[in-house]
Amino acid sequence: MIKQDNLILTRSDPSGQGGTQLIYRLKSYGLAAVSRPQEEISMIHWEVDIVKFSNENKASFEICHTTELANKTLKFYSDKSLNEFLEKAFPYLEELDSLEKMLPQEP
Amino acid sequence: MSLETLRPSPAMQDFLPTEYKDLVEHGPYNNRNGKEHQTVKVTDMGKFKEVIEEHPMCAGCAMTLFIRLTYIGMPNPEHTIIVGTAGCGRLAISQASVPFIYGNYGDTNAVASGLKRGLEVRYPNQKKDVIVMAGDGGLIDIGFQGLMHSWFRHEKFTTIMLDNEVYGNTGGQESGMTNQGKVLKMAPRGKFGEKVDALGLAKVAGVDYIARLAPTNPSRVARTVRRAIMVAREVGSSYIQAYTSCNIEYSIPTPDVMKDAFEIEKERYGFEEIISPRAKEYLDEIEKKPKKKKSDK
Amino acid sequence: MANVVGAAVCRTAADEGKPADWVPGGERQKVVDPMKMFHELPREMQFITGSEAARESMRRANIDIAIAYPITPQSESMQQAGYLYDEGYIKEYYRAEEEIGTFSAISGASRAGVRSLTATSGPGLMRGMEAISSWPGARTPIIMLNMCRVINTPLAIQPDNIEMSFMLNTGILMLHAENQQDFYDFPLAAICASEQVDVTLPAVVSVDGFFCTHARGPVMITPEEYKLPPRDGWRSAVPAMDNENPPARISRDAPIQKSNFISYHMHSSWQQEVFAAVQRSAKYFHAYLGGLVEVVNPGAEDFIVASGCAVSQAREAVRQEGEAGRKVGLVKIKTIRPFPTEDIYEALKGAKRILVPEFNQAGWLHKELCSVLYGRTKGVIKDGPRVYGGMTMPTEMILETLAEFRKEVK
Repeated sequence: MIKQDNLILTRSDPSGQGGTQLIYRLKSYGLAAVSRPQEEISMIHWEVDIVKFSNENKASFEICHTTELANKTLKFYSDKSLNEFLEKAFPYLEELDSLEKMLPQEP
Repeated sequence: MSLETLRPSPAMQDFLPTEYKDLVEHGPYNNRNGKEHQTVKVTDMGKFKEVIEEHPMCAGCAMTLFIRLTYIGMPNPEHTIIVGTAGCGRLAISQASVPFIYGNYGDTNAVASGLKRGLEVRYPNQKKDVIVMAGDGGLIDIGFQGLMHSWFRHEKFTTIMLDNEVYGNTGGQESGMTNQGKVLKMAPRGKFGEKVDALGLAKVAGVDYIARLAPTNPSRVARTVRRAIMVAREVGSSYIQAYTSCNIEYSIPTPDVMKDAFEIEKERYGFEEIISPRAKEYLDEIEKKPKKKKSDK
Repeated sequence: MANVVGAAVCRTAADEGKPADWVPGGERQKVVDPMKMFHELPREMQFITGSEAARESMRRANIDIAIAYPITPQSESMQQAGYLYDEGYIKEYYRAEEEIGTFSAISGASRAGVRSLTATSGPGLMRGMEAISSWPGARTPIIMLNMCRVINTPLAIQPDNIEMSFMLNTGILMLHAENQQDFYDFPLAAICASEQVDVTLPAVVSVDGFFCTHARGPVMITPEEYKLPPRDGWRSAVPAMDNENPPARISRDAPIQKSNFISYHMHSSWQQEVFAAVQRSAKYFHAYLGGLVEVVNPGAEDFIVASGCAVSQAREAVRQEGEAGRKVGLVKIKTIRPFPTEDIYEALKGAKRILVPEFNQAGWLHKELCSVLYGRTKGVIKDGPRVYGGMTMPTEMILETLAEFRKEVK
């Protein structure tokens, strides 16, 4: 089963293409993982983006391809590999948020 | 259905309709002489209650005679279900005291496939005989695909074609089984193609028991039906193609219907049986039994 | 007595070409009361496709016979049914010649008194429509899974649920699954309702193809060691055609197709009874599914009414509107037949704007809604967004339509 920690929202992919989107949040950063339909069921995979949330309460975010974790949309072909990545990503994103907070804020 | 279920309670006997009492007391439901199969004889027709008597068929219809004989040929009418489709035959078949499924156009052999398999799941220890009885159009035209595929799958039921070589019930249009050149409705210049070789198709599909006949020899009809049903019970698909003339659309005077049957039989509808080796082996085995009993006496 | 009625399994290991110690999967399962299965058994979450959800549903459904003809996007599920047959969870199975053959054969199987399952998609459903529309009148409980697909020219394999509109007036029980979870739960509920004596009707569970069948989603499933009770062929409004009881008159008597007043009367009373039975099934769906509808944000002024995949998209629209501080209600219709008129009316009593998004060209749900609410609600019922032919319905599309609607109806 896919990791449920830090999962704040499970929804039908808002693009309307079918499939499920999982949104994980760790302070202001997080991950959006989507699994969309494929004509060949064996081709079903996960597409994962690191995201930055724009609001404290809402699930609104922007895709963030500038972290050391990922500079593009990542693909995972199994739940196991997705889980392994999530395990690595959670502490990193949590730390990233803390580090950013230490930087002087732009006026 | 257990014959015990059908036997009326003695206390109620006086109140039952005569038809029902006759069926139990003088019909195939109770004529067992200690055997598993019904033992009424074709030669006794008129002396016992038949599972079909009243029907709205045309006077002199050869199909009706054939259908009556078919019911006499059934080894176990109490465990038989008939599947049919639109056509003349169903007017008589639906009047028999054997369940009849009147399905959609040309769906007989598909319905029978599901029915037979379902019955085998539900009654693993009781053979249930499923018989498709439908017209030439219902089987060879609109029901062609279902017919052929049930044969390819070797479904264990019997298909009987009531071949009157015309769409009688809709008013006399040519069918796939009409002879080439015959002028009928929808064939104003004569039937275009040849009569479909349904026996050949059955052979190619690997049907285990195939028979062609005309209702000229009543005992032979009953015996053929019984053989076809027994093969379907134990071996595979079986098929009977019976010439059952339409005296209305072919303008055969009512008193001459049987004369026509004898003539057509002689000309192109002679009795023919095509039996696969495995079906033959099975039939030999079951048909040997009565001889053994004779020696017991 | 030679007659053994209702034996659980007729296949032996030898018949099936399996080792002598083979035990059919179904024999290892325990029968459980349907209400216990639906509401009490523990559930485990699995992340699976709609087709896999259908397989797990079938595994627990105690199916006697499954017959189908392959068509995209149904094939995946019926292949899975094949594996279930091989494992001994389904007792009989074959690939039929095409859909007229399939749906005729499955009606034959149901007449034998056994639990019968088939599945199809758009064009296949249309091909077998004559047979399908005769099921309710024949009072044959059958479960059909329908993975919705485009039927019109130009042909496509994409999701579009217009084929459902062709079944609306046949007398079939119709459920519309929103997601993989529903495609697991609904077939089990549909089977139980369809086999009730006062129902005795076929049921179809539709789901939007690909979006759901070929995509993964979270599904809470019950343990596989439990299955539904078997179909009892004796408990039926019309007897099984097994020659174990008097044949039903509809099949025994001369077909009612001659032109006289008795035939008219017989046909109409028979059909009235079919549609009354559809209504009677409602109480079972209430019990099994916890209601014919699901209402989110009751009392809202703006409401979205939807079925199938459109519900998922509407759900997200409702959530986003909530984030923006606007309360939007949602009515998810689970059963299209019986149509939950009163439940919908209750939910929409105070609504000002009612939006009906759909995945088909005809807008059949919008028309249904208008016809049952006509003169009863003051709310304006608007159709849209409406997509078809495989088009997607992004959440934004619903939000935009809703914004326009607010401008149109103040």
